Amino acid sequence: MSQLKDQIALVTGGSRGIGRAIVLALAQAGAKVAFVYRGSKEASDKLVEEVTAAGGEAVAFQADVSQLDAASKVIEQVLAKWNRLDILVNNAGVIKDGLFLRMEESDWKTVIDTNLGGTFSFCRAAAQQMTLKQRYGRIINISSVAATHVNAGQCNYSASKGAVNSFTRALAVELGSRNVTVNAIAPGFIETDMSEAVRSKAGDFIAKKLIPTRRLGKPEDIASAVVFLASAGASYITGQVITIDGGLSLGAVSG
Amino acid sequence: MSKDDIFKKVAATMVEALNVDEDQVTMTSTLQGDLGAESIDFLDIVFRLEREFGIKIPRNELFPESIFQGDPDFVKDGKVTPKGLSELKEKMPYADFSTFEKNPTIETISDLFTVELIVRYLEGKIAKAA
Repeated sequence: MSQLKDQIALVTGGSRGIGRAIVLALAQAGAKVAFVYRGSKEASDKLVEEVTAAGGEAVAFQADVSQLDAASKVIEQVLAKWNRLDILVNNAGVIKDGLFLRMEESDWKTVIDTNLGGTFSFCRAAAQQMTLKQRYGRIINISSVAATHVNAGQCNYSASKGAVNSFTRALAVELGSRNVTVNAIAPGFIETDMSEAVRSKAGDFIAKKLIPTRRLGKPEDIASAVVFLASAGASYITGQVITIDGGLSLGAVSG
Repeated sequence: MSKDDIFKKVAATMVEALNVDEDQVTMTSTLQGDLGAESIDFLDIVFRLEREFGIKIPRNELFPESIFQGDPDFVKDGKVTPKGLSELKEKMPYADFSTFEKNPTIETISDLFTVELIVRYLEGKIAKAA
């Protein structure tokens, strides 16, 4: 319950889906949680209320992580409020699926700037505080199995997540000596708004035939791993991409 | 602030930044060879000196990065050319070149980065501010 007591966490894309579950789980583990949302004001207000009602502390910031100056503005405010930043979870992500032959430049740019650019700029804005001032930090980037197990129509998304994995490894090398770990989590098929379109078409088939644990993932399946990576017990894990997909990426077909 | 006071503060900074014992730090200690500094440690040292001395250290002023960038005019067969040496002296006005000049190889450039270099740099910086 209190393994992250009084630690300060920042989660991007925190108001919905996996991010929301991460905010709740970190708060439940005792952390004070700031989160960033882009458009879902109502959902984010509700989440702050929910955390507060449970005896936790949360604060929401509106920002679009694809804008390069968003990170420094948000992190400045977090530091002004709490004077530390122990845990950074780069979760904000978008999809703009479409076959490559029809892919607009803007579909490419939005996905890369949000998924990869947002991760870069929040890490950069947090790095000095974590490495030089605190000599402590946990960075957790939310990637995707789509980085390695690709689908048609997701050139942009797969590229962005593959880059996040490589970025995670490279950054881990640079920050390791300062007690800052950098890891990624690669979720498989998780029940969120983002996966709604594919789920409604093929969710049952995927769960029954392609996922050894026979179910789609829940946001909480990812959130619990984030809490673990942020905890003291994970201090020797860095530069890793941890796949959480019920076995989907094993590539076995059931039945 | 006397040179000795500056040294004491710099030595304390080295202990903190590089996790070395105080008695390992002397004026002539080289940061990489003697004190084991890696690239990120140089950023850490700059950060701590800025905080400790209340000054701003612009990038490349104390620890110039990628000094020659493979320029053949500056380095030939692993040796720093006379032109390279004058470039180096211009970029590192606080460094002591007396030993280096006897055998100016690319490998020994790192030995120019000593505790004394930092102390002399800070002396100049503090004198200018006063």
